[in-house]
Amino acid sequence: MNWQDPLVKKFLYVIIAMIILCPLGILLVWNYGDAWGEWDPQELAEKVGESKVSGMLHLADIWNHALLPDYDVPGWDDPFHASIGYIISAIVGVILCVGAYYALIKFVNPRATTG
Amino acid sequence: MHIPDGYLGPITCAFFYLIMIPIWYKGIKELKKLDPRKLPLLGVLTAFAFLVMMFNLPVPDGTTAHMVGGTLIAILMDNPWVATIAISIVLVIQAIFFGDGGITCIGANCFNMGVVLPFVGYYVYKFLRNKVGEVIASGIGAYVGIVTAAICAGFEFGLQPFIEPGYCPYPFTVSVPAMAIAHLLTAGPAAAVVTAIVVWYVRKVRPDLFTSKEQQVSGVNA
Repeated sequence: MNWQDPLVKKFLYVIIAMIILCPLGILLVWNYGDAWGEWDPQELAEKVGESKVSGMLHLADIWNHALLPDYDVPGWDDPFHASIGYIISAIVGVILCVGAYYALIKFVNPRATTG
Repeated sequence: MHIPDGYLGPITCAFFYLIMIPIWYKGIKELKKLDPRKLPLLGVLTAFAFLVMMFNLPVPDGTTAHMVGGTLIAILMDNPWVATIAISIVLVIQAIFFGDGGITCIGANCFNMGVVLPFVGYYVYKFLRNKVGEVIASGIGAYVGIVTAAICAGFEFGLQPFIEPGYCPYPFTVSVPAMAIAHLLTAGPAAAVVTAIVVWYVRKVRPDLFTSKEQQVSGVNA
């Protein structure tokens, strides 16, 4: 794969800029609620009654091994620390995405990755 | 638009995983056929999609929404199937490492954001590009794509109480308008502007990405 393509390089600069600016994605909405349908199940249960979401409470904790839950280091709750946690998450996420993509390409099209 | 664990019941989750299996299979086949020169660009676009979803935008009703980038990938690759694969990679990583979107809902989330969004966006773009130009068409495509995907997610939330109660408690009369409004007002316009700007720029520096195979062949013959 030719990573020297000028357009790919431009996108790399854009990616670096987005990583630096990403805290805007939480700071601009700091006093806003969650996205619709992404509320904490316990809070929702208190609002609508546990019986209405019994299955949800069962399923909600099926996966609690996230490395950086909600794109933050657990406990870094104030805006400053959350912003740093968000930047760390952005860097980790970009590495994981490009890594997974590269592994997939190597698997489906091995010739494209040599050279 | 990332449906968390618990909002969809087991039947709904299984249904979307089953739907996604043949689509992922076809996507991988299309990825094998993709021009190898496009592969590095698809890689950085995958990272771009991850990052663009971190920019939560305020919705006037007090919630948030974000763009996805699926239509942009489908247009630049001239292939919505490989956009499905790129967005699916992002969604799987978000679910496993960041707890954004449920593990049980990966099928549904990949269907909404990775299939409905890029396919609707790409075909709206293709339909309009000879009428209004590539840049405007890409913006409109991105807008229609993300709003349609959000409405789909709204229907999945809202049909759940009728399929199996105990999961998402709100019917579609509540969920569909809520999802539609957030994306009509906030994420949709953002997706339109960002997609149009990137397409405008890429078209300027790499016009070769926008010439279809037929045009390339006729260019050689001329």
